[in-house]
Amino acid sequence: MAGSFAKARKQMLSKEWKYVDVVLLGAVGALSLLGCIMVYSASKTRAVSQGLSSTYYLERQVGFLIIGVVLMTLVMLFDYRKMRDLSPLLYIGIIGSLCLVLVPGIGSSSNGTQGWFALPGGFQLQPSEFSKFFLIICLASYISQHEQFHFGPLVKTLIVGVIPVGLVLLQPDLGTAMVMVVVLISVLCVAGTRGRYLVLMALFGFVSVIGVLQIGVLKQYQINRLTVFLNQGNGTEASKESAGSAYNLDQSKTAIGNGGVFGKGIFKGEQTKLAYVPEQHTDFIFTAIGEELGFVGSVTVIGLFAIVAWRIWRISRAAPDSTGTFICIGIVSMFVFHVFENIGMTMGIMPITGIPLPFMSYGGSSTLLMFMAIGLVNNVYIHRFE
Amino acid sequence: MSDQIREKRIGIVGVVLIAIFLTMVCRLWYLQVANGEEFRQVASANHYRIVQSEAPRGRILDTNGVVLVDNRIARSIVVERLELKDEKLKKKVIQQLSIVLGVDRKTIETRIADQRVSQYKPVPVAIDVDIDKIQYIKEHQEDFPGVDAIPLPIRRYPQGNIAPHVLGYVGEIFEDELEANKGDDYQIGDTIGKSGVELAYEKYLRGTPSTSKVEVDRNGSVIRTVKYTPPIPGDDLVLSIDATTQKVAEESLAGQIEQTRKQQDKSDKAKFSTFKAPSGSITLLDPNTGLVRAMASYPTYDPEAFVGGISTTDYQALNAPDSGFPLNNWATQGQYAPGSTFKLISSIAGLKSGIITTNSTFNDTGSLKVSDVEFFNAGKQVNGTITLPTALTVSSDTFFYNIGSKLWSLQRKKNPEGDAIQNTAREFGFGKPTGIPIGNESKGRIADQEWKKRIHEADPVNFPYAEWLPGENVFAAIGQGDNLATPIQLATAYSAFLNGGKVLQPQLVQEIRKFDKKGKYKSTLIKVKVNNTVTVDPNYIATIKQGFAGVVSSDKGTAHSVFAGWPGNITVGGKTGTAEVQGKQDTSLFVGFSPVDNPQYVAVSVVEQAGFGAATAAPIVRRTLEGAYGLPLSNFGYVTVSDGGAR
Repeated sequence: MAGSFAKARKQMLSKEWKYVDVVLLGAVGALSLLGCIMVYSASKTRAVSQGLSSTYYLERQVGFLIIGVVLMTLVMLFDYRKMRDLSPLLYIGIIGSLCLVLVPGIGSSSNGTQGWFALPGGFQLQPSEFSKFFLIICLASYISQHEQFHFGPLVKTLIVGVIPVGLVLLQPDLGTAMVMVVVLISVLCVAGTRGRYLVLMALFGFVSVIGVLQIGVLKQYQINRLTVFLNQGNGTEASKESAGSAYNLDQSKTAIGNGGVFGKGIFKGEQTKLAYVPEQHTDFIFTAIGEELGFVGSVTVIGLFAIVAWRIWRISRAAPDSTGTFICIGIVSMFVFHVFENIGMTMGIMPITGIPLPFMSYGGSSTLLMFMAIGLVNNVYIHRFE
Repeated sequence: MSDQIREKRIGIVGVVLIAIFLTMVCRLWYLQVANGEEFRQVASANHYRIVQSEAPRGRILDTNGVVLVDNRIARSIVVERLELKDEKLKKKVIQQLSIVLGVDRKTIETRIADQRVSQYKPVPVAIDVDIDKIQYIKEHQEDFPGVDAIPLPIRRYPQGNIAPHVLGYVGEIFEDELEANKGDDYQIGDTIGKSGVELAYEKYLRGTPSTSKVEVDRNGSVIRTVKYTPPIPGDDLVLSIDATTQKVAEESLAGQIEQTRKQQDKSDKAKFSTFKAPSGSITLLDPNTGLVRAMASYPTYDPEAFVGGISTTDYQALNAPDSGFPLNNWATQGQYAPGSTFKLISSIAGLKSGIITTNSTFNDTGSLKVSDVEFFNAGKQVNGTITLPTALTVSSDTFFYNIGSKLWSLQRKKNPEGDAIQNTAREFGFGKPTGIPIGNESKGRIADQEWKKRIHEADPVNFPYAEWLPGENVFAAIGQGDNLATPIQLATAYSAFLNGGKVLQPQLVQEIRKFDKKGKYKSTLIKVKVNNTVTVDPNYIATIKQGFAGVVSSDKGTAHSVFAGWPGNITVGGKTGTAEVQGKQDTSLFVGFSPVDNPQYVAVSVVEQAGFGAATAAPIVRRTLEGAYGLPLSNFGYVTVSDGGAR
């Protein structure tokens, strides 16, 4: 015991640990802990009704957090510049797993999306979650090889980026595809792509979304989910007559609105407790936050997310090389898009897609991904003086 | 790539990030702070439902405490719709229920499909189901998911069908009733009083429904009951009606009408037709309090038919044009020319205006000429020199034509005294509802100068004259012309005459009993309500009363023969009426009261198309009075009266 403690102490004092971004980790820690409480609050009724212990989802989420912290530490300690050298391999891995999951029998489907590998113990792995992480490393590595970022490299980078987007769309997992596109555009923007190309890309992205909605890859209910936020009522009608998606959105907004300024108090949300909002411990966790913690609590949560974003953005400027900068920009855009898309959909200002709220939604893949991302950012931070 | 551009681009990313976070905070503000209250209401409406169940309805007793209406527990089949969300299952269950209960599948389907009934409340699909059918369903419960048998209180009539027009009937609430009773938390499927006392005293009889506030989840499943408020049973009503007398009144009315229908209408010699006598009524009233002791209407119906819902064909039969409208209470809804019974009013009008005095004489030559038109007595009978009491006893029309004609002369001179008949009628409560709490009361009509002008202006083609003609006032004096009265108005007017001028609101309910949780009750006695007080010189009253007493006791009296054999120690007075109706046989009317000096009863009978007042209406009154006094009941028989002597 004494020996291992001394070893840990020595490690704490080593250079790597001294330069960790404490504010970033503190904000992430606070979000994760609050996330656990909210997962418990939002899932206990459901767990009991499924014949499980009321703490079933909480226990698993705590487990995911522990694994996440371990993975974060590993990612932090493995110099990102070595990852850069491995990026072609990582890229092949991404493409491989995204292809593999599409094969029936190997990948499994849920909610009409073919996007999971079933693991022993009832766990599921979502390769598209991790592909986001590795794609950021690949893009950052690839772009940073080019001193002058002109038309040629731009096209090549686009090809590198669009292939995984296409594979993800085949599942179809529109949410992840959107994240990837946002990451791609953000990184290309910082890489110095000319404004007009960026505008063109944004236009192209917009047209592709319309195209995807039109060509019939998505089922009608998936399209409904995506478009319901465009034609909602005055925001207060919760009629049963409204179609399923609109009804869910109404219930979601009602829950958040019901919170008022100070909230109903933890474990006291009526909409939450009575399971009015679908998927409220996963994608719609923010409704529980909104209802139980109110405007004050929700703004605090958004504030914590803003701190995380600010720290990552800050590290992007302190990075020792452009790979580090691109990694941070990729991660901050992924992170903020997750936050905005998720909270936005519960509030009716963004389409409903299956994007979880970082550090708060129940779920293994998403939690692990976000911790790995924070690890990678810290990895860059540690090496900032080199 | 220059670092400057990169710095700038990173800056742009930062600005975008700030914008995104601000957007979220703004939207959050909009939802939680700006519109929080609205969402709170939506959320609360989301989670809670109020499930309401009716309270046991109050009972109705007669004046001696005999239970006329109470509730019995009927085994009813109900369906819990939340358990039949699956369409295939629902179809199967409906099919099975239809076979077992012998109820049409469509009927069950419509009941279950009625979305207006709270879905948390089981819908009754069959009421009063045989015990073996219920046992069958219970034994095969697995084939009948969501089907249950529960006891439902429904109306019962322990004395059989008695006073249906007074009691009224109950039924499932209609859309328009729901609308009309908006503030009272009625729900589709609830029972409501439809007529009679059941309607008029609905708010007492209904009680307060039980309410359960339940919390429901997204799927509508009840999570728990937040609050249960037990029902408060409805109040009991004690009627002023005496069941025994009521029974006699009903029998007398129906029995006499049957007799009358066998009689030939002699005034219609050419056709040799019998009297139609389609409908009529008898009302027995305490003139001092306005309490109704008996009230019967003919034809009648059975309120039992409405228990658990009446079939459309049965309901249509009750409303068919040739049915005589058994659902109508002719005692309060029927409007008739009052005929000679109206001479009470003409007498008082004549005395008050000074046209006659209590002992002035008039030579009745059998007719009276007014502006070149000759008005005849019935049967052109000549009565000679008579005073007011005799004029009433023998029912001289000419005597009263004279009053009507002289008053018309005053009317022409714009002397307000000229309207004495119309004004007196108004004072005695004609022309407006008496306010008897029974619902749907008719108000009758007083035809006067203004009315004439009004109908002319409204419809100049059919009513070409705006002018009040002498004949109209002459006819008004004998209760013909355009005046209309309801039997209950006649009863109240005669009561006022007999009780010293109090025009009372007739009452059917004398006491309301409110029960507490321990089963003890608190009584509220219904107070005598005076609608109007009329001042009449006691001399006038005595003189007129003398005339009315003669109607029964004098040899010349129009109803003398009707009361042949009546015990001498109980005095009876009254007035016959035989009203001519355009295109119909004469209406038979009689108003009787007893004892003459200190009347306890006023009885009014009116039978349409039934000939002389003495022939049909007076025997009904006699027999009803026999019932009220506990005398042996006389046999039915049509009293043959010579034409002219019985008006």
